[in-house]
Amino acid sequence: MIALNNSKTWTLSNYLLALVLLIPVLVMLFGGLTASTQLFLHLWQSVLPRYLENTILLGFFVVLLAVFFGVISAAIITQTNILCKSLLRWLLLLPLAMPAYLIAYLYTDLFDYAGPVQRTLRDWFGWQSPNDYWFFDLRTLSGAALMLALVLFPYVYMLVRGAFEQQDQNLIKASRLLGLTAKQSFLRVALPLARPAIGISASLVLMETLADFATVQYFSVNTLTTAIYDTWLGYGDLGAANALASVLMLLVLFVVLAEQKSRKGVRHQSSRPSINKTVIVLTASQQFFASVFCWGLVAAGFLVPLVMLIIMVVDYSSVNQFSLLVSTGINSLKVSVIAATITVFIALSFGFYQRFHANKFRHLPLRISGFGYAIPGTVLAMAMLSTLGPVDHWLNDIASYAGLTSPGLILSGSLFAIIFALVVRFLAIANGTVVNGINLIPHSLDYAPASLGVSFKGSLIKVHIPLLTKTIFVAWLLVFVEAMKELPVVLLLRPFNFETLSSQVYQLISDEMLEQGALGAILIVIFGLLPIVLLNKSK
Amino acid sequence: MTTPLLSIEQLSVTLDNKKVLLDLNLILEQGDILGLVGASGCGKTTLLHAIAGFTKISQGQIIIDGKVLSNTKQSLPAEQRQVGMVFQDYALFPHLTVKQNIAFGISKLTHSEQVKQVKHLLGILKLEEYANKFIHQLSGGQQQRVAIARALAPKPKLLMLDEPFSNIDARLRTELMLEIRSLLKLFNTTAIFVTHNKDEVFTFADKMAVMANGYLLQFDQPNIICQQPNSYQVADFLQLGSWLPCLVDGIKASSLLGEIKLGSNKGSEQGLRYLLVKPSQLQLNEDVSANTIANAQVDYISLTEQGFHYYFSSLDGKSDKKLQFSKLSLYSHIVLSIKQKVRLSINPHAFLMFTKDQ
Amino acid sequence: MFKRLLTLSLTSLLLMTSDSAYAAEEVNVYSYRQPFLVEPLFNKFTELTNIKVNVVFAKKGMAERLAREGKYSPADILLTTDISRLVELRDKDLVQAVNSTILDSAIPTQYHAQDNTWFALTTRVRNIYSAKRLGKINLNYEDLAEEKYKGRICSRSGKHPYNVALVASMISEHGEAYTLDWLEKVKANLARKPQGSDRGQVQAIHQKLCDISLGNSYYFGKMLKDDKQKVWADEVYINFPNQDNRGAHINISGVAMAKYAPNTKNAKALMEFLVSEPAQLLYAETNMEYPVVKGVPVSTMVASWGDFKADGLSLEKIAKNRKAALTLLDKAQFDL
Repeated sequence: MIALNNSKTWTLSNYLLALVLLIPVLVMLFGGLTASTQLFLHLWQSVLPRYLENTILLGFFVVLLAVFFGVISAAIITQTNILCKSLLRWLLLLPLAMPAYLIAYLYTDLFDYAGPVQRTLRDWFGWQSPNDYWFFDLRTLSGAALMLALVLFPYVYMLVRGAFEQQDQNLIKASRLLGLTAKQSFLRVALPLARPAIGISASLVLMETLADFATVQYFSVNTLTTAIYDTWLGYGDLGAANALASVLMLLVLFVVLAEQKSRKGVRHQSSRPSINKTVIVLTASQQFFASVFCWGLVAAGFLVPLVMLIIMVVDYSSVNQFSLLVSTGINSLKVSVIAATITVFIALSFGFYQRFHANKFRHLPLRISGFGYAIPGTVLAMAMLSTLGPVDHWLNDIASYAGLTSPGLILSGSLFAIIFALVVRFLAIANGTVVNGINLIPHSLDYAPASLGVSFKGSLIKVHIPLLTKTIFVAWLLVFVEAMKELPVVLLLRPFNFETLSSQVYQLISDEMLEQGALGAILIVIFGLLPIVLLNKSK
Repeated sequence: MTTPLLSIEQLSVTLDNKKVLLDLNLILEQGDILGLVGASGCGKTTLLHAIAGFTKISQGQIIIDGKVLSNTKQSLPAEQRQVGMVFQDYALFPHLTVKQNIAFGISKLTHSEQVKQVKHLLGILKLEEYANKFIHQLSGGQQQRVAIARALAPKPKLLMLDEPFSNIDARLRTELMLEIRSLLKLFNTTAIFVTHNKDEVFTFADKMAVMANGYLLQFDQPNIICQQPNSYQVADFLQLGSWLPCLVDGIKASSLLGEIKLGSNKGSEQGLRYLLVKPSQLQLNEDVSANTIANAQVDYISLTEQGFHYYFSSLDGKSDKKLQFSKLSLYSHIVLSIKQKVRLSINPHAFLMFTKDQ
Repeated sequence: MFKRLLTLSLTSLLLMTSDSAYAAEEVNVYSYRQPFLVEPLFNKFTELTNIKVNVVFAKKGMAERLAREGKYSPADILLTTDISRLVELRDKDLVQAVNSTILDSAIPTQYHAQDNTWFALTTRVRNIYSAKRLGKINLNYEDLAEEKYKGRICSRSGKHPYNVALVASMISEHGEAYTLDWLEKVKANLARKPQGSDRGQVQAIHQKLCDISLGNSYYFGKMLKDDKQKVWADEVYINFPNQDNRGAHINISGVAMAKYAPNTKNAKALMEFLVSEPAQLLYAETNMEYPVVKGVPVSTMVASWGDFKADGLSLEKIAKNRKAALTLLDKAQFDL
């Protein structure tokens, strides 16, 4: 390929940027490697195997459920003539706006002994005590898995739906002319061809699951994240905690790479997707079951929790909470907006570098920067402190050496740490979106401006960036929403007098006082809805 | 009398409130290869889709081997029709090997039977060494063969090919056409192949059907259509000659190239007609003088193996606008230059006159 | 273009970092205690002294953060809810001694460090709540291991600092071997996996899921004052365990001054305020805790629970056994 810009400074700055983003991970790995083994040994002999078992089981169940929900709903929406299809098509994305720990709390409330469901049952059947009947306990590993699957399945739905919609319809026609029914054609052609989408979205779900700590903590499910917390905050051994965090991260990476490797060499993309689609016509009973399935997902993952929140707001909210809401809301916005903007800038830089550079390793900054996503928020926060703390010290030392007033902890003690962590964590999302968008631009447009006398920079500004407007917007929105929902990073890194919506809501949940913060919870959900609604309109 | 393999009766298809196929009638015997030609948008692909069962029909019926596939009341699902199709972009399954692609339609047979069939087809289509490769590892021509092998494996009653040679290198095209034709003849497979290139029909097909705007204009053997096109549209689409406008009055017709005496059986026709003129039916006289008045001028020159190829148009000015002509085609070894005025005349022959409207 | 980028990045950096505390006449607090508990106290302090109080609340990770920040930490005051935390801070050399006659005279000797590095502000008891339907009972912590309570005990996570301190006190009294055995037996008596908060356990008793639970004293008062939770509290008795032997286990909420505190004068003022009568009364009335300062009365509600004998075990000893307690909890797999 012809390189359009081989400027050395550009190369250097991109690699440097990637390196800077990678440093916290390296610090964590290094800390883990140099940790003493004594505590590790004790944990291994007592609780660690159980934690590991829980982690693996949780990951397995969530992925299983999410893939089940997501693939089936994507298939129904793209292959059949289900009623209210266009409505359901985007409604199924709504659960993404709900943080898992939020619905975990709401459903626990709903299905608790003293909750409305059991109370009604007891009224109807005249039961007096818990020994009179069996009712499922939500606060178990399976319960946690269900909660997580309900809010994470839209990732699978979204990607698999896209894959189905972009498939060459002639393949299905060919399959049918070779004797397979529409259903068989779906199972033997459409589904296998969607394998990359299923794999990628499943990896995403797994990473999100392993990063979760609020839901599992609320449900008293002890996973590796529990172990990390224990080791760091209970035993105070940061080295061992780093070791455990490294194990967690390597586990995630292993699964992701294994998945990628398993589909290497097999092509799934056809030349071009065609527009006409033959749909499977459903019988009345099939319509019923399909509708129950899809609407059930929308209700369970979004509508029911939303209604519960609204009821709480109506019943419990008071005026003095409003000012608190405004201040925490502004904090959330501040952090998320800055993080999203920076992330998109970096993604563009890496994306353009990959596109225009001739270097064999031009993919590297992009690849490296994507690792952050695999690191759970807690771990990243720890890594931030481990990294930025010493840097702050150096800065202060330098300042005092130069006779200037000590600036204090301007990095680790300010929003810088949070924003840095959010950028590292969510850069992968921006990268993926931006790279996809850049790839859609025909290569001829790379060379055309030069032939008209426009400089490289001019070409970027006048041609490429305008063409990428929608992509940039989407990438920005996605990171913005993730940053709004993010919890552990905020909890551990925030400076003085700083609460965000997520930390506020979490605090109240842990004190069983969500009613006071229901309005804030609804705000988080509304912000989460924005990208979904806007994305849907622009399609 | 044997039942025809394919019988299409008064077929009409309406899509999105637009009439795409109108009152089509077609019959194919077992082993016939039909070449279906027409401009883009004439309805060829819709016809294939209707036969395959992907499009509902609004009138008429489609019958294969005595069994009704589609009529206004019912439509047999595509997978039960035993109709095969080779798509323009081959539509091969990228996640399966060549062998697996070919075996896809015969999965209901026993394993050993499948292996036998696949091996047989791999041999005939010269694909043995690619059996375990994936589609993206093959060239266009090889993919073409795989697509054909896959479609033939379940022994379909009718095979449809959608522009099968449009993606093939010109040099390989003829070779491939002959190969596939002999294959189809070997299996005695009935086939319909769609193309916008009429030349392929002569090499590949036994019968030809010309379509335009949803109508089937003419259906016959290719040579008959070319010698006796039944309408202006057919002759024009197939580029069977050039057009000379004439005013017909009974047995006489007048044009800008002179008077033409028509045969007696033309009877009492009157009005503007178009004469189909083949190059060999035109006489060129480049010496113009007071006696030999010029009636045409050179518009275009190119060199071919038949000599110079000229297009002539009528001279500007006086004459009746309706009778003006252009692009009258002639081959000659006489050297002319652009805008040179000459005199053309028509040799007597079996005149084919057409009206333009339909 | 490049210049613009530079200015942009510098301004954003400034924007981001502008939240670190700076101005004078302030005091910075790192608090384990929740906002609604301590904000009234701080507001009163600011009212009286005009010194602004900046607070960072966190349930976890405060000490670790302090350690990372080192000598550039802006923290002046550290408020905790557990003796172990305070001692840990002292052991990690993150606090400094405060010499104040006011503090020395107000707080009884066993409730502040000998070297003046930590000071208790209130005390709380770890009670055993029992269902009223059982009638009045006299329990020791040790009794919880008895067979007759099988399937009838509810508890929050064993690793929660309140429980860890209790376990540490058991180790101090009985040694590790006994305590491990005790933990395993108590675990076997649990009606369900440890989950929720202290109040959640009383809710479970109300729902007849279990009969006995562990919980701090002030929660009882808080529940009685809450519309939704009053029904739970009405179903239980609050018991002070081990009255026939060493007394009920005590924990404290306390305060220490950070080693590198930038505002030592203001910090000391805040500490002294917290042991003053108005502040201690606030603790007593609003939080239903036992004020540490002699002579400050408890709230009427707390007084109605009666007098009790407190475990005289040195708080430092309890703190020393904290790590051992954690280890035993892991060995017994209490939470799993």
